[in-house]
Amino acid sequence: MIKKLYFGQYRHRETMLHSLDPRLKIIYVLVLSILAFLSKSMNDMIVFSSFILLCVLLAKIDVKTIIKGLRSFYFIFAFLFLMYLMFSPNQLRQGLVAIWRFLMFILISMILTFTTPISGLVTAIEKLSSPLKIFGIRPRNIATTVSIAIRFIPVMFVNFERMRESMISRLADFRKMNHIKLVVSLMLHKMLKSASNLSDAMYSRLYNEGIEINKILKLKEYDYVSIVFVALFILLIY
Amino acid sequence: MIKAKNIYFRYEEKFILKNISLEIEEGSFTALIGANGSGKTTLAKHFNGLVVPDKGSVFVNGIDTKKDSLNARKNVGFVFQNFEDQMVYSVVEEDVGFGLENLEYSYDKLKSVVDETLKKLRIGHLAKVNVNALSQGQKQLVALAGVLAMNPKCIVFDEPTTNLDEKNKKNILDIIKYLNRKDKITIILVTNMLGELKYADEVIVLKSGSVIFNGKKSRLNKKIIKGAGLDD
Repeated sequence: MIKKLYFGQYRHRETMLHSLDPRLKIIYVLVLSILAFLSKSMNDMIVFSSFILLCVLLAKIDVKTIIKGLRSFYFIFAFLFLMYLMFSPNQLRQGLVAIWRFLMFILISMILTFTTPISGLVTAIEKLSSPLKIFGIRPRNIATTVSIAIRFIPVMFVNFERMRESMISRLADFRKMNHIKLVVSLMLHKMLKSASNLSDAMYSRLYNEGIEINKILKLKEYDYVSIVFVALFILLIY
Repeated sequence: MIKAKNIYFRYEEKFILKNISLEIEEGSFTALIGANGSGKTTLAKHFNGLVVPDKGSVFVNGIDTKKDSLNARKNVGFVFQNFEDQMVYSVVEEDVGFGLENLEYSYDKLKSVVDETLKKLRIGHLAKVNVNALSQGQKQLVALAGVLAMNPKCIVFDEPTTNLDEKNKKNILDIIKYLNRKDKITIILVTNMLGELKYADEVIVLKSGSVIFNGKKSRLNKKIIKGAGLDD
């Protein structure tokens, strides 16, 4: 099954990016996403793309894996491009910039999820969202929701593929609305069942939304170097 | 260890469990057997307070699951039939540590308990592996490790051999037997396979939500098995 799950999967490697503090990685993802959105000139885009490529290399992510991971998004790329082509006054260039931005968002999140185990993300999200406690929001619930999404979204893709194949083998035609409706309702049913099973499993393992995870996060040398590096990169672009 | 007193459980208008009273001794190996839809899983979920009875009570080491299901659950671990849906985190060692996080273990203690548990089940080499990359047999062991790490006095296995090949079936059943015989963990094995009864000392047979047999395995006879709708 893992052969089909390229997106959102942590891969254990001994790299600098893997050992960075997960809180910093989340902040970098936010900063880089904003930067990608603000980049308009060709120069900015080339520098930005080179930086992301460097991160991919530093994280030792196999380029083939990325290409395969992007397969699921080809349809969205094509759709975005067509929309721009049809409705935007500046057509081609704007369409390409939109696709580039979308690609960068995907690559940035891929680097995060490839290099950070879910427990790291959970701890980081929990620590970063702790100020929300004053509004009565429990940080652990936010963190657990994110971790479950990361764990199960790829599984849902695989389930969808299995269901689609099994329907096609029985001559389903996905140009017909009733077959699309059927696959959507089956997926919803499966997702709700999985959610119910998971909720039972979490309660049986004493899930407690009130506790804070005891894992202590401390910034290391690498982390400070990365802060300087990212700051320099931001200055370089702007 | 576990005592159920006249429990009834209703889903919508239908009674899934009807007037069930039973006792499970500490250190015993009990098989809970019945045909599909006989109420086995629902009854098993009562043992760790995931489900509470509409009428009657379930006590785990004297704790009423209706009053304090959290502490009841600390005593009784549950390995679900669909172990795929049981894993919360995507890396093996993290998932095994999920219950320990909830028990508020310090990070160092959590790490050492997780390592020890994985080693015990001979899956230490899988610690850093993504759970989606595991075989069915390995997933089952990881699911068990997640429960075992919490050091429960009793573990309920809900049809643990479903979807496993013969080799993995034998492996998991041998491990369950080991946990009972060597670690003195009370085992409740929910099954519909008669062949798995050989591991148990006590047997509870369910039919349409009622207990039709509860006693030593040696007292079980063909008539009861046939009455429960199970093939001999």
